[in-house]
Amino acid sequence: MTTTHPTATAPARPGPAPTPGTLPLPAGTARAVTTAGAVLTLAATFLPWTWTRAFPGNLTVTGYPGGLQVLTLTGALLVLLFLASGHGVRGLRWLTPGGTTAPLVLLTAGTFATTWYAAGAISVTLGGVVNLEPGAWIATAGSLLALAGALGLPADTPAGTDGPSGTGAPAIQRLRHSLQAPAPRPARALPDWAEILLIAGAFAVVLYVFTYGIATEYGELFVGFLLLTGCAAPALAKAGLIRRVSRLTARHRNVSIAAAFVAAAAFPFLQSDNQFTSIAANILIFATVALGLNVVVGLAGLLDLGYVAFLGVGAYTAALVSGSPYSSVGLKFPFWAAVLTGALASLIFGVLIGAPTLRLRGDYLAIVTLGFGEIFRIGMQNLDGISGPAVTNGSTGIPQIPDLEILGFNFGETHSFLGFDFTRSANYFWLMLFFTVIVVSVFRRSDSSRIGRAWVAIREDETAARAMGINAFRFKLIAFALGATLAGLAGTVQAHAVSSIDPEQYKFVEAVPPNSAFLLAAVILGGMGTVGGPLIGAALLFLIPAKLQFIGEYQLLLFGVALVLLMRFRPEGLVADRRKQLEFHETGQLDVPDAKALAPVDGNGNGTTGGPDGPNDPGTTGPGKAEG
Amino acid sequence: MHDLPQQLANGLILGAMYGLIAIGYTMVYGIVQLINFAHGEIFMIGGFGALTAWLLLPSGTSIALALPLMLLLGMACSVLVGMGAERFAYRPLRGGPRLAPLITAIGLSIALQQAIWAFYPDAKKARPFPQFGGDPIDLGAFSIQRGELFLITAAPLCMIVLALFVSKSRTGRAMQATSQDPDTAKLMGINTDRIIVTAFAIGAAFAAIAAIAHGLKYGQVDFKMGFIAGLKAFTAAVLGGIGNIYGAMIGGLVLGFTEAMATAYIEYIPGMELFGGGAWKDVWAFVLLILVLLLRPQGLLGERVTDRA
Repeated sequence: MTTTHPTATAPARPGPAPTPGTLPLPAGTARAVTTAGAVLTLAATFLPWTWTRAFPGNLTVTGYPGGLQVLTLTGALLVLLFLASGHGVRGLRWLTPGGTTAPLVLLTAGTFATTWYAAGAISVTLGGVVNLEPGAWIATAGSLLALAGALGLPADTPAGTDGPSGTGAPAIQRLRHSLQAPAPRPARALPDWAEILLIAGAFAVVLYVFTYGIATEYGELFVGFLLLTGCAAPALAKAGLIRRVSRLTARHRNVSIAAAFVAAAAFPFLQSDNQFTSIAANILIFATVALGLNVVVGLAGLLDLGYVAFLGVGAYTAALVSGSPYSSVGLKFPFWAAVLTGALASLIFGVLIGAPTLRLRGDYLAIVTLGFGEIFRIGMQNLDGISGPAVTNGSTGIPQIPDLEILGFNFGETHSFLGFDFTRSANYFWLMLFFTVIVVSVFRRSDSSRIGRAWVAIREDETAARAMGINAFRFKLIAFALGATLAGLAGTVQAHAVSSIDPEQYKFVEAVPPNSAFLLAAVILGGMGTVGGPLIGAALLFLIPAKLQFIGEYQLLLFGVALVLLMRFRPEGLVADRRKQLEFHETGQLDVPDAKALAPVDGNGNGTTGGPDGPNDPGTTGPGKAEG
Repeated sequence: MHDLPQQLANGLILGAMYGLIAIGYTMVYGIVQLINFAHGEIFMIGGFGALTAWLLLPSGTSIALALPLMLLLGMACSVLVGMGAERFAYRPLRGGPRLAPLITAIGLSIALQQAIWAFYPDAKKARPFPQFGGDPIDLGAFSIQRGELFLITAAPLCMIVLALFVSKSRTGRAMQATSQDPDTAKLMGINTDRIIVTAFAIGAAFAAIAAIAHGLKYGQVDFKMGFIAGLKAFTAAVLGGIGNIYGAMIGGLVLGFTEAMATAYIEYIPGMELFGGGAWKDVWAFVLLILVLLLRPQGLLGERVTDRA
């Protein structure tokens, strides 16, 4: 692999000289150094890293990696596998249908970051580097060596596609260049059953990774997990694996969707600990509401800053007719009726707010919804019988919302099935999952319908859309009201799942999701207009504050800063919708997305998982759903 | 209706404060069509800047003597933050999709609020603001607090200065030109970037004045005070016709009167007995906003805002 890429689509490409890596190393040396570093790192995980068990995860045992060592071990293993694949080892070449160097750079960086973070955390927690055993020193040295070696590997793409990248180019330019990867070569046709098996395998991996993340027991492990997955996910994208999987899922769309939900539904089976199931149920509520918001923000381009109020309307309505002893309405509706009432109430509020506002420019909607969110909270607080009519018990809220009972199945009790115990959280998790399916299907159906195309047209250029005969006001109102209804729907479940609601749960911004700002951030962080985006965004925004207690009081500050930086540097979010990507990275030319216009986006070294057909791409859909 | 003059005076004072903040929204919106959500926080930071000046002075300084210094430092802080936000957060996004700067504005607003909460000493709860001592001034039909005198003098003064600046000075006219048509203004040799920064700076300075008035009126500054104040000020700007500087002041006054009237008299309307009092005043302000958008979306003074998107 000195002159041509053994795995490239056209090995006979009339070889331009290999583009040098970031560090000036001969290709062979670079590969040897990377291998040596990875092996060293791998071996070091079997040695003790510290002398005391005071550091969580027990890193003191020889021959048995624990805690952060497992992450480093995984990273080093992946590096070795991809290295072998890049070298053309038979049986492993399927790992890198796209780039080989870019994934290696990212993976070694991830291993390096995780290992050094572990060593740093040990030193800080225990007070000084003397607490590091030789194992930790070997691991840090090995991971550094591997990273240096990977940086010396020749880049995957020939020079000159993005400005200077030869030997004379600045290092940062060469680094950026070596993070570029070619599109994966077309996959060999497999029988249907094999492809479906592959899809199932991919979902199983995603589910396992997600479960691992939720079940991390201490903050350090979660940081390590974030560091490693944060590098490994883009590495897989660069290697072309994600594009491959999304092609498979596109071919077997129904199977994939089913698989995603089976994977999500399997989550409670993998968890014996009720605490984590409860986290997962909360994430699912948060994610479903975020997905509803995505209809409004992502598809129709309307900025709704008071979305949580619609969730609140649904929740309050459901709570009032739930038969709670504190409800001022002495009615007990069956659940289906409560869901309909809640959704209807949200719909009414959505139309009331939307109708006057949506005739005007989009900015008005932002501020009116922001106001509505605040007014909803104040209103619920005031309807306590002292400041206003007695409806909601004011700031006490409505506690003791009874558990649901559908067809004799009580959601509050623990049920045993196949030897597994399913707690209250698991029951609500599944109920919420059912509503997630509804929201996802509404999202997807409307996205690819006439209405969805009208939304896109309005979002891109309202004046032009009107000239084409689209009744902009009506379609915007449909989007807004639909979003409100979906939130109301989720609210009715939320009321029962949390069993006690009060006005403070529905604020604009607060440390605990869901609130309007976090919902919006979940949509933006994940990627507007995609299904997977909000689910991933919601999971991250829920887990990061929950796991990283040490951020503590600076959490919201970091949140605000992160939002600003995100808009500045990656406005299209983690799971990028191709259309949005083009929109945010304007190239100054007409809407002809040629390869060159897309190249800088792909070359950012970020996890561009979006397949060729953007929002309808189940590749972005599937893993995301499994996240729930 | 026995205390109508008093309620009118209350409304006037409240409205003048909203109007001062609203100018920041309306000027920025008039030029770049951006709702600067962080403006409420710029207002709040002005209050904390003024408080800092007061704390730096030796204790026992008379508030009348300290006021100029407080004004200066408050305005300096606000202006600095406003210009910084424009330069580093909004400018890089200019010309992109419309959603991006709005979201940046939200992030900025949260970050600024939390920065004060986390780093300003003892700012986790409201901090007391210096007060003018003495009894309220009795003017027969109504009385006003001494602290409110500052606002009553400052607000008209600011308006006159601003009106003169916008209509007479070179920069002011360049500002008008930019707001009418940024591209043509640029072709005419106007440095539109500088104009935009100026708009942010003027808005921030006025917000700082309003924040000091707020502190003097309520006796405290609070890291949260920018949120509702910003929302109200935006309502005022829309009421008056967004983009219209005089409209902002008039909108502020209308909003102030509405709030004062609603707080005092709504409970006397049959059937609304339970919706009066201070608890519902924000709700009525919001209802007013919805009604204005429904009935006269261009605002009281505004012409129809053409869609330049």
